Amino acid sequence: MKNVNLIGTILLSGALLAGMTGCHHRPPQVTEIPNVGPQPQPPGGNNNLTPGNPGQNPNQPQVTQEPIPLTNGPFTRLFEDPNHVENREKFKDDTIHFDFDSSVIKPSEEAKLQAVANYFKDNSNYEALIVEGNCDERGTEKYNLSLGERRALASREYLANLGVNPERIKTVTFGKDHPVDPGHDESAWKQNRRDEFILVTPK
Amino acid sequence: MNCKPLLTAALLCACSAAATAQEEPPIRIIKPADYAVPVSISGFQGEVESVLKFDLSVLGMAITAPDKADYLVSGKANGDVEGSLTQSGSSRPLWLRAYNGGTPRSLAHAFADDIAKEIRGTAPIFQTKIAFRLQQGASTEIAMSDYDGYHVTQLTHDGKLVDGPAWIPGGRGLLYTSWQKSTEAILEQDLATGARRVFANYPGANLSPAVSPDGQKVAMILSRNGSPNLWVCDLHGGGLLQLTRTREEDSCPCWSPDSREICFVCRAGRARMQIIGADGGPARPLRAAGVSANMTAPNWSPDGKWIAFTSGSVNFTLCVLSAEGGDAQSLVAGEDPCWAPNSRTIIFARRVNNKSILCLLDVPTKHVKDVRQISGSCSEPSWAR
Repeated sequence: MKNVNLIGTILLSGALLAGMTGCHHRPPQVTEIPNVGPQPQPPGGNNNLTPGNPGQNPNQPQVTQEPIPLTNGPFTRLFEDPNHVENREKFKDDTIHFDFDSSVIKPSEEAKLQAVANYFKDNSNYEALIVEGNCDERGTEKYNLSLGERRALASREYLANLGVNPERIKTVTFGKDHPVDPGHDESAWKQNRRDEFILVTPK
Repeated sequence: MNCKPLLTAALLCACSAAATAQEEPPIRIIKPADYAVPVSISGFQGEVESVLKFDLSVLGMAITAPDKADYLVSGKANGDVEGSLTQSGSSRPLWLRAYNGGTPRSLAHAFADDIAKEIRGTAPIFQTKIAFRLQQGASTEIAMSDYDGYHVTQLTHDGKLVDGPAWIPGGRGLLYTSWQKSTEAILEQDLATGARRVFANYPGANLSPAVSPDGQKVAMILSRNGSPNLWVCDLHGGGLLQLTRTREEDSCPCWSPDSREICFVCRAGRARMQIIGADGGPARPLRAAGVSANMTAPNWSPDGKWIAFTSGSVNFTLCVLSAEGGDAQSLVAGEDPCWAPNSRTIIFARRVNNKSILCLLDVPTKHVKDVRQISGSCSEPSWAR
């Protein structure tokens, strides 16, 4: 058969082979990150941003509160300061819960936020707050990460309205990755849709 | 990363040059995409045979006996792989090719890519890579592997939370959100050197990076202005631009293949998908009929025609929709779809017994193959393109 002769003609060059082998057997290396510090801001900062059109849907339920930008300010260093610790017990009873797929603060949760706000009115400027936003397992991973952040921001805005300096409040989202109850029913889900408040306080 | 396709390319060039001197080949007809083409495989054993069977099944072909086959794959593996493809009823093969210089697996994948190109007319995918999120115990890490789940390499060892990775086109690196320090930041990891750098660490959330197919820009979700909104910047981190300013959260950005538009999820009562220009301007809703539940995790096919997405909230369904909008088609149970370079195959995650596994879907035939199983839970796959 004529075609069989093709086999002999299709030998690859040694250079190509060497290149393939080198590529195939080199596992990616991992190096430690020296420091995750604040990213340099773009030239001109916020004022230099070109506004995009919001593209809002007219049927969308609107959050009426104006957004409060997050900035690196005088309080930012408290979150990184080795002489400060995270106290998860202080506001443990003030964890607030949300309805499914919602970031609206429910009337039943307002007293807890008031208690957190009262603490900050009465206490020193050497303390700060972390709000951790969490979701139940319903919804995809990346969707829940954004929803968890929206929930944390909802508490931050509420506390700001009660007089807490928003620069003292840092938000973190864990999406659906930090459930308090690993179950797969509504009794677990309602525990997992929550904001937790962590006091950052001097050692 | 992309060395192996050279093997196929070199072979194809050599073949076509030599073939011109020969008689005309038999008439070949590419069957409808949803036809489960019966194919027989003979002469191979062990790993080479199992790779050929797996690869051809991934493209919706049915492995069968020679007397029932439309196409006959035959040959031998003896260090090298030699193989031919013959149409049923023909006395001579469409072609006969030899593959050498790699492992039996890689040679079999190269042979299968040529068979797939002949029968399905699709771009090669069997020598490509995937990256995904790997959960083992309490920690989640980034891992990569061959498209079929073989040769897994764990890329992070932080013992903290990470979110699913996004490839930089060409496969030189990955972007992903890491909670290595108490808040999340987007990291860039170079696969050749292993070096990592902070890509974005603005105040607030730094989530869901997606690199444009031309490698120029990154879409991501930042909350620095007080809401989780869609932003873009260039791959070096400059030129930051806020694209949306809604008060409800935005999520899940993905790029059009021409790198000019971004499809993302905007919550409007229920999550819905929108498309916005990468340079700004108004967003337009992506109309999806026939799907009532939440629509998230869109992924745009490389040929530009389709957007795959996830519907549902706890029992997820994979769906596809024309990129122009229209009737959505429900495919199979699963979440977080990502298209292969051939715009035909999708990799996705499926929950089985309280863990998540990765699966390959042949969209036209709806045929599903699980990738090789490893310990731990695998989710949020991203296909190197």
